[in-house]
Amino acid sequence: MPIRNPFRRQPSTTARRRILPFLATAAVTAVALSACSAPTTAPRGPEFFDWSDVQVAADGQTVKLWMWGGDDQGNAYVDDVLAPAAAAQGVTLERVPIADTKDALNRVFTELQAGRTTDGAVDLVWINGDNFRTGKQADAWLCDWTGLLPNMAAVSDTDPLLTEDFGTPVDGCEAPWHKAQFSFVYNSATVPNPPTTIEGILEWAEANPGRFTYPAAPDFTGSAFLRSVLYSESGGHENVPSAYSDEAFDELSPALFDRLEALTPSLWREGSTYPATSEQLTKLYADGEIDMMMTYGPATLTALVENGTLPDTTRVLTVDDGTLGNASFFGIPSNSGNIAGAMVVANEALSVEQQVAKADPTVWGQFTVLDLDALSTADRALFEALPQSPVVPSFDVLSRNANPELSAEWVPALDEAWRTRIAAGQ
Amino acid sequence: MTLSTSNVDMERAQREQRERRMPGDAGRPLSQSRGVMRTARIVSTVLVALWFALPFLPLVLWSFANSWSAPDVLPMSVGTDGLTAAIANGAVAAFGDSLLLSLIVAAIATPVGAMAARALSRHGLPFGRLVSVLLFSPVLLPPFAAVLGINVVLLRAWVPPEIGVILVLVVVAIPYTTFSMLVAYAAYDDGFDEAARTLGATSRFALWRIHLPLIAPALARSAFLAFLVGWSDYLVTLVVGGGQLVTLPLIIASSASGIGNESSVAVLSLSAVIPPLILLGLVSRARNLNPGRQS
Repeated sequence: MPIRNPFRRQPSTTARRRILPFLATAAVTAVALSACSAPTTAPRGPEFFDWSDVQVAADGQTVKLWMWGGDDQGNAYVDDVLAPAAAAQGVTLERVPIADTKDALNRVFTELQAGRTTDGAVDLVWINGDNFRTGKQADAWLCDWTGLLPNMAAVSDTDPLLTEDFGTPVDGCEAPWHKAQFSFVYNSATVPNPPTTIEGILEWAEANPGRFTYPAAPDFTGSAFLRSVLYSESGGHENVPSAYSDEAFDELSPALFDRLEALTPSLWREGSTYPATSEQLTKLYADGEIDMMMTYGPATLTALVENGTLPDTTRVLTVDDGTLGNASFFGIPSNSGNIAGAMVVANEALSVEQQVAKADPTVWGQFTVLDLDALSTADRALFEALPQSPVVPSFDVLSRNANPELSAEWVPALDEAWRTRIAAGQ
Repeated sequence: MTLSTSNVDMERAQREQRERRMPGDAGRPLSQSRGVMRTARIVSTVLVALWFALPFLPLVLWSFANSWSAPDVLPMSVGTDGLTAAIANGAVAAFGDSLLLSLIVAAIATPVGAMAARALSRHGLPFGRLVSVLLFSPVLLPPFAAVLGINVVLLRAWVPPEIGVILVLVVVAIPYTTFSMLVAYAAYDDGFDEAARTLGATSRFALWRIHLPLIAPALARSAFLAFLVGWSDYLVTLVVGGGQLVTLPLIIASSASGIGNESSVAVLSLSAVIPPLILLGLVSRARNLNPGRQS
């Protein structure tokens, strides 16, 4: 039961480490190859007149959902809750567990490159951020299909978290699945008076040397931490333009890296080394080596505390300046052979029953993408009746003052600058 | 009187049969170490065994640990949560897929390797050196580049993913089976086949009753290597398989990329280690299959 989202950048285990360089090569190769070949295959739009067309076409289809498989709760939710609901509508849902979402993209790119544009092996992918942008640039996603889904009616069409995915316009090329909120986590037994701002967290770290660290960029969580501190150092997210420009970067990033440089000697092992992944960070916290950590998947904390991986005095820290928020989505590759079936699954996943079940911390604890104000009183009551987690506050508390994500171009620029300024200066 | 003599003769014949050494049989050691050397030998054997076995200790402990965090030296609570989670993750189906895939790869790569090795072991083969280089090239090529490239070709040729995985893995396994069979054929005496033919055996009879039983231990060894190629493969199954085959390594890799899954990953890893160990035990006991036996 991990603290991880599907858009992770790095496989983390020693078993996978051998393959890492290969995967990096593959990602680069696939992007390069797709850049040459993709324009010849324009993305297909929906061929369906209305939803009943889709339902008729979907009946009897088998949908392969490729999703990051490192989350036992997520796997169990898909197998035991979502798949039976899809089966009731005549769609067989099969989960393909992958160690990295890029594996699914690589498969799609290779198929498109080989001219296999109608019978791809990937029907549905759990995706967001960088992977979505990469696929969109290569025209690998089916677009303009989410408007057909009846359950999209309960999704707000003005929510910036759902209309833009890390600055890339969604444009009906992916259907929302759940929301995530970047969260700082502390052990209330060892941190009795937790700070209330991000600057306060850094000051706390300096007052308690060796008890704080963050994953090395370009780990997804580590790089979200860089963006959080960038907002904080710039005096709030309003002061950082979402679209990337060299001018904005040169103006705003020095304050971030000066602050991190000053922080380094107070980090775990004096900043001589950093955990490579958010899993390693969580492990340090679980083993009591540090007292504070961060995650982009607070939903899974409840289960990790319950099964004893994390101490039961673990609490999520809500900060006044707010934290980054994002959503993750279902994407349908343009060459899927089971587009209708994939749409039925994406629609079913957006139903009130599924979103409520998924939001239950004992099932998966993922925050809903539905607009609660748009729901009927009875449906809203279902969400309000969900068991409260002793660890994680409810989403409206957690997402108070939520900060929008920066556009995806910011991410590699900040990661690279961190690598040359902070990691190289060890 | 005559009866007892024939009994003695038969016993002697049976004893000779038991003691007859055939190619592939283990020989008797020329000398046994004694005294200090013997102690050193035993100690070093134990150390090497420990070196191999110790990494499995945490794996076994984790398999049955429901919770285990530092600084505890042993799991805090013991149970079968890991097993339950592994099964929920599809371990049983993945185990079946892995087994089927590995057996098919071994069943194809072993005879192909044996035939290639037999041809190569005869000098006079035209372009023999070139054929050797070609056969061994899969070992030399960087696997990822080769697999990614071949996948495009397979997709363009509309080869079903399952068939594609088998084809590629067989090619990867052939160098190993060929090499192990080359060693066996280097020590093989063609005289056995020739004697059988001289005595009137058809070539088919000589193959099935003389040749194959004599090289059976080597065949078992190379089949084991080919099995391992299929059993341990991650890359080809992932890239070429396109999600049609979800084998144990795929489940292990995806499971291990999260946190809090340590005990289910340990169960999965153990279940991936055990079948090859069992096979290794069987292979190391393999003897030639009593050549010349009439049925």
